[in-house]
Amino acid sequence: MAEIIIEHVTKTFGAFTAVDDIDMTFEDGEVACLLGPSGCGKTTLMRMLSGLETPTKGRVIFGGRDVTRLPPRKRNVGMVFQYPVMYPTLSVFENLELPMRYDRSVARDERRRRVDEILDVLDIRHLSKAFIEELDAGTRQKVAVGRAVVRQSEIVLFDEPTTNVEVNAKLQLIRAFKTVTSRLKQTIVYVTHDQTEAMTLADRIALMRSGRIVQYDRPQVLYGEPTTEFGGWFLGNPGMNFVPATVSGGTISAPILARPLPAPGDLRGDRIAVGIRPELVRMAGIAGPDSVPAKLVDQAIGIAGRYLTKAAIGDTVVKVNTKGRPPAKLGETVHLSVPRERLMLFADGDRVPARFS
Amino acid sequence: MSRIREVAYYAGLWLIALIFFAPIAWIVMSSFKTRTDILAVPPKFLFSPTLENYEALFSRSEIFVQIGNSILLSLGAVIIAVVVSFLAAFCFSRFRPKGTDFLMFLLLSIRMLPGPAVILPVFLMYVGFGWKDSHLWLMLFYAMFSIPFSVWILKGFLDGVSTRFDETGRVNGGSWAHIIFKVVMPQVRPGLIAAFIFNLIFVWNEYLFNFIIGGVNTQNIPYALMVGTYADGGVAWTFIATMTSLYLVVPVVFIYLFQKYLLVGMTFGTVRGEV
Repeated sequence: MAEIIIEHVTKTFGAFTAVDDIDMTFEDGEVACLLGPSGCGKTTLMRMLSGLETPTKGRVIFGGRDVTRLPPRKRNVGMVFQYPVMYPTLSVFENLELPMRYDRSVARDERRRRVDEILDVLDIRHLSKAFIEELDAGTRQKVAVGRAVVRQSEIVLFDEPTTNVEVNAKLQLIRAFKTVTSRLKQTIVYVTHDQTEAMTLADRIALMRSGRIVQYDRPQVLYGEPTTEFGGWFLGNPGMNFVPATVSGGTISAPILARPLPAPGDLRGDRIAVGIRPELVRMAGIAGPDSVPAKLVDQAIGIAGRYLTKAAIGDTVVKVNTKGRPPAKLGETVHLSVPRERLMLFADGDRVPARFS
Repeated sequence: MSRIREVAYYAGLWLIALIFFAPIAWIVMSSFKTRTDILAVPPKFLFSPTLENYEALFSRSEIFVQIGNSILLSLGAVIIAVVVSFLAAFCFSRFRPKGTDFLMFLLLSIRMLPGPAVILPVFLMYVGFGWKDSHLWLMLFYAMFSIPFSVWILKGFLDGVSTRFDETGRVNGGSWAHIIFKVVMPQVRPGLIAAFIFNLIFVWNEYLFNFIIGGVNTQNIPYALMVGTYADGGVAWTFIATMTSLYLVVPVVFIYLFQKYLLVGMTFGTVRGEV
């Protein structure tokens, strides 16, 4: 059992608050991703878990053991960094084995057995005699992953491990992470600013912003049901559209809506917006029921035959991710419609629970 | 044309090098000459070498003590200084205690005034505490004088070693001792050598403090040279020549072996070159 409990943890550097009163739990055996833009405090939070930083306030508890003031080596965690650092004069095998050599509790045969197992899991057996200097960055990072998990610590931390790896190796590396995480029942916390990576790997994602957790949920929920405008904008490529709306007489109207929406009774806020994902907006060449005319102002080719376009309804620009080529040329008129049941309502940046039909 | 220029360059360089080398050549040559030959005008380049001077030198019993003292004091002081400075520099570089920059500046201040400026307080202190004429205390004094430079040199090197190394080591179960000596130290070896050689030259050449706060037991070679210069109503040329020739051996060997690290020392580790 090694669930990680973060109890009202705050970390300040001088006047700057990097982590602001975070209170959450990572379940035992779960892969949790900390996702957020640069400088949101995710790395600082991770460093407090590893013991490289000490919280200004609050407690960190691993499986019932308060580790807040313990140095890293007493915490029994493995960690993989952005840059793999290894002994260049030792072989892959020796590098994997070394940390256990200093741990008297692991017998020699057991050490060998564990290293052997990891070499297979990561598919690097053929490199076991190679020296670190002969390996490319991606493979080095694999070895670093191996070293972090081979000690069989209950918790393994990943700090943006793919940032400095080129794209092809990155995919391989992520596949290796997947294998490792499914084979081993360790609790894993993975820091990244890459949403695809988080979506691929995580059981649950903690979305962070300005030192706080914005939302902590399964990837599909995070994507489908963001609780904030930030969440909707940060996830997805491109992020969600937020169309400014006006409320009057119990109805909500916005440029993208052909018919106004009924306003929920408790709707408060100065800034009301209607949110819709770009891939859910339908674009057609001819007017249909519930469509609004717009001018196609921008288009770019996306992946899988999709086009990323922008259409302007008056002053409001809506991002649309179309299947296939857009039905009109740049500057021409297109007709946009939205599935009303997929619309989300936001007041001052926060989601208002409301369903439309 | 370029060929001529090249030859001219080399001729010029050789000439300059020889001019600088001349006094050393003269003193080493003189150590194998008789007193008359040394003072001959014009100077004799062809002479029958003799080992008489060395025999005379080694017949003085105190000479072995003095050479031994020189080696003991300089090696001891420099080793103490390098160890202390490495740990201090590691602390400054990694933990950055409050006022690190000011402390670093303060550390260097002892080297901002010439040695003789502090000789009186140091002398009074050594007399007051009864530390005079003691190998240990003289060694510690030299170490104190060597530490500031070494800290500066080593901090430059340690700053160049990324903290990634420390952090990786720490989360993988390494103690601080392991990180400092097994992970970081091997990476700053050029800095350690630079600090070592730079301070060794300083202590090896030190005369003034040995004379003032040392004593009969701690006399070193510079002291012997100074005191032995005048003898028998004149300058003891044979003694000077032989003693100096021996005295040169240590720095020549060390500088020859570690010459590339000297630049590092003189520039506080900011110019690394090939090191």
